[in-house]
Amino acid sequence: MNALEIIDLNRSFGAISVIEGLTLSIKEGQRHAIIGPNGAGKTTLFNMLTGWLPPSSGSIMFGDKSIAGMTPSRITASGMARSFQINALFDGLTVRQNLRLSAQALHPSRLDVIASFNAYSDIEELVIFNAERMALTDYMDKPVQELSYGIRRQLEVALALTSEPKLLLLDEPAAGTSPSERLRLVNLITRLPKSTTILLVEHDMDLVFEISDRITVLTYGSVLADGSPDEIRRHKAVSDAYLGKNHA
Amino acid sequence: MSKQKLIPIIKCTSRNRVIHLTVIAVGLMTLVPFVLNDYQISLGTEVMIFALYALGINVLLGYTGYVSLGHAMFLGIGGYGLAILSVLWGWPVWAAVPATFLIGAILGGVIGFACLRVGKIQFLVLTLAFSQMLSGAFTKLKATGGTDGMAGIPRPDLAWLGVDSWNNDIFYLYVLTFFLVVTFTLYRVLHSPFGSVLVGIRENERRMVALGYRTGRYKIGAFAISGFVATVAGLLLAQRTGFATPDYMSWSYSGEGILMVIIGGMQSFSGPILGAGFYVLAKAGLADITDEYIVVFGLLFMIVVAGFRTGLSGLIKVILTWRTRNERT
Repeated sequence: MNALEIIDLNRSFGAISVIEGLTLSIKEGQRHAIIGPNGAGKTTLFNMLTGWLPPSSGSIMFGDKSIAGMTPSRITASGMARSFQINALFDGLTVRQNLRLSAQALHPSRLDVIASFNAYSDIEELVIFNAERMALTDYMDKPVQELSYGIRRQLEVALALTSEPKLLLLDEPAAGTSPSERLRLVNLITRLPKSTTILLVEHDMDLVFEISDRITVLTYGSVLADGSPDEIRRHKAVSDAYLGKNHA
Repeated sequence: MSKQKLIPIIKCTSRNRVIHLTVIAVGLMTLVPFVLNDYQISLGTEVMIFALYALGINVLLGYTGYVSLGHAMFLGIGGYGLAILSVLWGWPVWAAVPATFLIGAILGGVIGFACLRVGKIQFLVLTLAFSQMLSGAFTKLKATGGTDGMAGIPRPDLAWLGVDSWNNDIFYLYVLTFFLVVTFTLYRVLHSPFGSVLVGIRENERRMVALGYRTGRYKIGAFAISGFVATVAGLLLAQRTGFATPDYMSWSYSGEGILMVIIGGMQSFSGPILGAGFYVLAKAGLADITDEYIVVFGLLFMIVVAGFRTGLSGLIKVILTWRTRNERT
């Protein structure tokens, strides 16, 4: 069963075609990474999948639902959540409040205008559960402003995770992290249950090879190679085009 | 002051302390007609009316993060709503008052829908344009008295309670009732899950969208609530002065409302109330000395913006925290 199926997707900006006839499927339970040199169209693809950019043509099937051209909030409501390459957190609020906003986003209580904001125990449970998954329990009542960059990256992923998505899209989760922060993040992401399908866009090659069990290489808006990490590592065209001639 | 007070989800003040302070404040406010003189009582009435107005503005300004430069239009809608329904159309007061509130909320939603489709700067300009348009229309409209506005705004008939609402003390208590009901309801709404969504929008709207919120609807809701509360203030203001005039919709009233919120502290629920109290009382005090009270407020505004962003409510919180610390040691 495919979690996500992209068929003949196109996107151009004026005369420049960024995504050209892209066809790609992501299997349920897989950790699937998309890599590619700058300008390969990774971000454009990501934005189309999450509804921030409508495709010029083509279809995106999420489960049995066509989501091409849907608004970001509706795509999230249908079970897909994303993290951002540049932190998009609620800086003035604490970790707990950040996660609570995520936990109640698809919960009927979001429209409750009378009860206290912490009245719903199922939301509080969801917050604690996901804080544990991303190792944030020590920081629950700290405002985001006081957190280190690495912890903020963990919160960035946790925010997406807390809406309990079927498909989790991570946009360069390790961007800007130190080696130790990166290691921590890799461990946390690897430990996530297989019931959550993960689609990852990442620059950090080591991270990609550690986390993913399938890799798609994108160049000039279409698929150059698609396979297991080992296959990609051995792929001649990939190592020439992207990994550099001396890699592995 | 290193930690900024955040609304509404973090509470620096404990729950008990909030309850204590509220009980004391409500007690003192109820005592006003029994201990103060006529002039002071009527100042008290004015404080509550403008406190409601500022609270309404702060739903957008402090909680949702949108600056409306046209909120005085709701003061006008409150006044003219009651004036048109009761004076022109002969509705009884008990029907005209709730109908006016409803109109305020609906117009809030509609104007919000029109203004919130754009960025924050455009929003500011659009709200200003709407209020200028409305005040312009009422200036020209013959049926509502043009520039002169309308006189003879009715107050409710409270004979069934054995009192007369034209009595200064009774009118104070009448306004106090509205003030308490609206303030407590608003407090609940802003501290509900819905209220936390508004704060989320203020902090990072893009992320809220990514989390699955249809933020447009919440913003329209916020504008409707904000407009409703300001409409209540406008209606009471017209009942207090007996007039509904285009003046109440002028941009200077909009600006003064924002001034009250910022001086009082927009990062707290009580800030607008304190700001309105300070504004009305200081204005009355300064008016005895000089006509140029606005200069003083200008200076104060600069001080708050430059050095003391949490306003009066922040100042009080610092004093309370400091006292608690001293009591402990």
